[in-house]
Amino acid sequence: MVKLPNIQRGKIYIMLAILTWFALLFVDLVRLFGEINQMEGDISREITWILEIIFFIVLYLYFSYSINKNENSNFLNLIWRAASTGLIATLTSFLIIYFYYLLDGSRLSEDPLLRNFFYHVNFALTSLFLISSALLWKHLILYQKSKAVVQQWQAYEVILLISMFFVLINQESYDYGFMFGLIFLIIYGIILSVNLKWIPYLTFREKWKSILFLAIIIACTAYLLVQLVSYNQKNIDFVNLSENLFLLGLFAFVLIYAVFSFLVTLFNLPTSSVFEQKLTEAISFQKLSQSIQPGENEEQVLDILMDSSMSAAYVDAAWLELHAQVEEDQPGKILHQKFISNGERQDLMAILKKTEPFAGYLNELKGGKLEYIYGKIRHETFQSVLIIPIRANKKILGDLFLLKEVKDGFNKEMINIISTFVGQTSISIENYRLLKEAIKNERYREELEIAQRVQRSLLPSELHHNECFEIDGFSAAADEVGGDYYETYRFDRDHFALIIGDVSGKGTSAAFNMSQMKGVFHSLVQLNLGPKDFLTKANSALSRCLEKNNFITTTYYTVNTREKEIHFARAGHCPTLYYSEERGASRFLDIKGMGLGIVRNLSFEQYIEEGKMNYLPGDVMVMYTDGIVEAKNENGQEFGYDNLRNILDENYHLSAREIRTKIIESVFAFVGKEILPDDDYSLLAIKFKA
Amino acid sequence: MLSINMTAAREHLVIALNGEVDASNSVELDEVIQEALSGSVQKILVDGRNLEYISSAGLGVFMSYLEDFRENNVAFVIFGLNEKVMNVFHILGLDQLISIKNTQEEAEESLYDA
Repeated sequence: MVKLPNIQRGKIYIMLAILTWFALLFVDLVRLFGEINQMEGDISREITWILEIIFFIVLYLYFSYSINKNENSNFLNLIWRAASTGLIATLTSFLIIYFYYLLDGSRLSEDPLLRNFFYHVNFALTSLFLISSALLWKHLILYQKSKAVVQQWQAYEVILLISMFFVLINQESYDYGFMFGLIFLIIYGIILSVNLKWIPYLTFREKWKSILFLAIIIACTAYLLVQLVSYNQKNIDFVNLSENLFLLGLFAFVLIYAVFSFLVTLFNLPTSSVFEQKLTEAISFQKLSQSIQPGENEEQVLDILMDSSMSAAYVDAAWLELHAQVEEDQPGKILHQKFISNGERQDLMAILKKTEPFAGYLNELKGGKLEYIYGKIRHETFQSVLIIPIRANKKILGDLFLLKEVKDGFNKEMINIISTFVGQTSISIENYRLLKEAIKNERYREELEIAQRVQRSLLPSELHHNECFEIDGFSAAADEVGGDYYETYRFDRDHFALIIGDVSGKGTSAAFNMSQMKGVFHSLVQLNLGPKDFLTKANSALSRCLEKNNFITTTYYTVNTREKEIHFARAGHCPTLYYSEERGASRFLDIKGMGLGIVRNLSFEQYIEEGKMNYLPGDVMVMYTDGIVEAKNENGQEFGYDNLRNILDENYHLSAREIRTKIIESVFAFVGKEILPDDDYSLLAIKFKA
Repeated sequence: MLSINMTAAREHLVIALNGEVDASNSVELDEVIQEALSGSVQKILVDGRNLEYISSAGLGVFMSYLEDFRENNVAFVIFGLNEKVMNVFHILGLDQLISIKNTQEEAEESLYDA
């Protein structure tokens, strides 16, 4: 289907209307000419009527199209459009009268053809005005439409359409049928005209304007009606276009609706402010209930509260006092002081503190569940006072002071609506705070996750070893990040370094120190130092960067698999558990040691001892942090060294991985599932094979 | 849980620790020692008979004052630690830096004879 673009449709209607009008004019002039010159009329009256009907329909289509296009224009604009069209039609009519006045006496003024031409101009403009107004009324009637109203209107349109053709039946005479039809149209017009829901939505000013416009419309309509009818009466042999039920019905409808609107608007004027007030309250309420937008703060919400409350109760002066918030370290302050000076406010406060019922509340600042305090005071300007505490998170945030110059200035409705405003404000502020907190927590959580990721990458994913030994490690942190550390290093095929460490404290600060330890390890391990030298240098390095009360415990081992030799030194770390195949039992390698960072000078060396031992295949070495031996069960007992040693004595024959798993499982079993670990714990198990 | 009692006796001050010292209350211990140092006391005894547990944070407190004690010539002696707590001091090596005695008599003796 070919669909015409919208822009062209309007133009086509205009063209059609103009063409129809010219055709109508031409037909009528020819008819008239024939009649005057007593010629046999070739053209019947029906053609005139049919052209007239086409003209009406085209105009109707055009206006309903053009009004729909400007759907969102406001009521005042619509009424102004009708009024302006009416004015144009009226003015044109005046101009024609003036023209005849100028021609007075001349032959031309008597010419029926010219007169008839102007009659057609008037008729066209009047139809234009009536049809456009009727369609504008449609827009107003269907404001906040219900299904019933829409159906009523559609029926009216059908009736109007039928009424156009009525002229073909009754042959241009005022018979009973015509009168009956007209009365029916008038009554229907009245029924439709009670739909005036748009009027309350006008503001006071807009109402005045619409009254003016409506008056113009009424005047124009009345004038045009009188003028059109008088034409007919004065010129009997003229072509009569106005004896059309449609046109007269429209006259009635436009006039009735304009009069109804005029009167209703007029009588609505005094109550207008009440409606506006309610509307403002609704809008204020909506503003308050929207949670605070990003970028706004609580003060802005309180500002809206002030404005809303003030306009709801026609308040003369007001201020808002925020109480000092001890936890948040916020001093009390006066916010949003309106229509009152500082001096006046202080005077009033002094009076209020001496006047009941305010004094009790203001002096103690304990509201309990008090919703508002209302009373009168002796002051030269202000006579009534309303105090409403504003609460958030069950605490009183501040007080709203509202003052009026009249006695008993606050009625129940006002207090109710203000209380609702205050309640809504509290909710908004609470929501805002919750949201802010949630966002903050979310950010912390994300940062911790990052820290956790970084820290996990600090622990080695693979432990260096060769075919002579197995090694397996495990580490868990009490918090998101921990301070335990272990690592391996391979010098060459047979030489390895191992380290296990524990940073004092736990959580984030421990994690930072742990990463320093890692740095120190990687720097020093490359120097291929003996364990004692390694720890001495590590102590010297860490002494410069650790906080005063922080220290790190660690044990450093070098393993030579060719000589089957282990060298180790202990810097305050838990003694290594060692199972010897030869002895058939395990023991702790307790040698003298000192934590890194405890003695921050060169004398550190003297507190450190270096151990040396040879291993045999089948020997097992278990390195661990204090979280393992200090793990507590629900009775407060520690897992302890003996438990650890017994487990190794029973499981020494297993692989490194199995031994590690066994120990960790035992610790978990000992602690019980319900208890969260309160320290970081790590474990490294090594099993020598060759 | 930790409770700290301070009593003055002769020329020395006795700080008695009851309960557990961990990360959450090590600050209290720190404050007490700070306070003792700011006075003119030259001899400090720590009564550890009722000390059930000490974490690395608690040890860190003692450790951080070792320098101050030496500079101000303060004699600092701990006594009466149970086996478990003693072991913690020993593993870390603090027993090499702090004088730790078994009984109060021994501790006082070491304070006044030295």
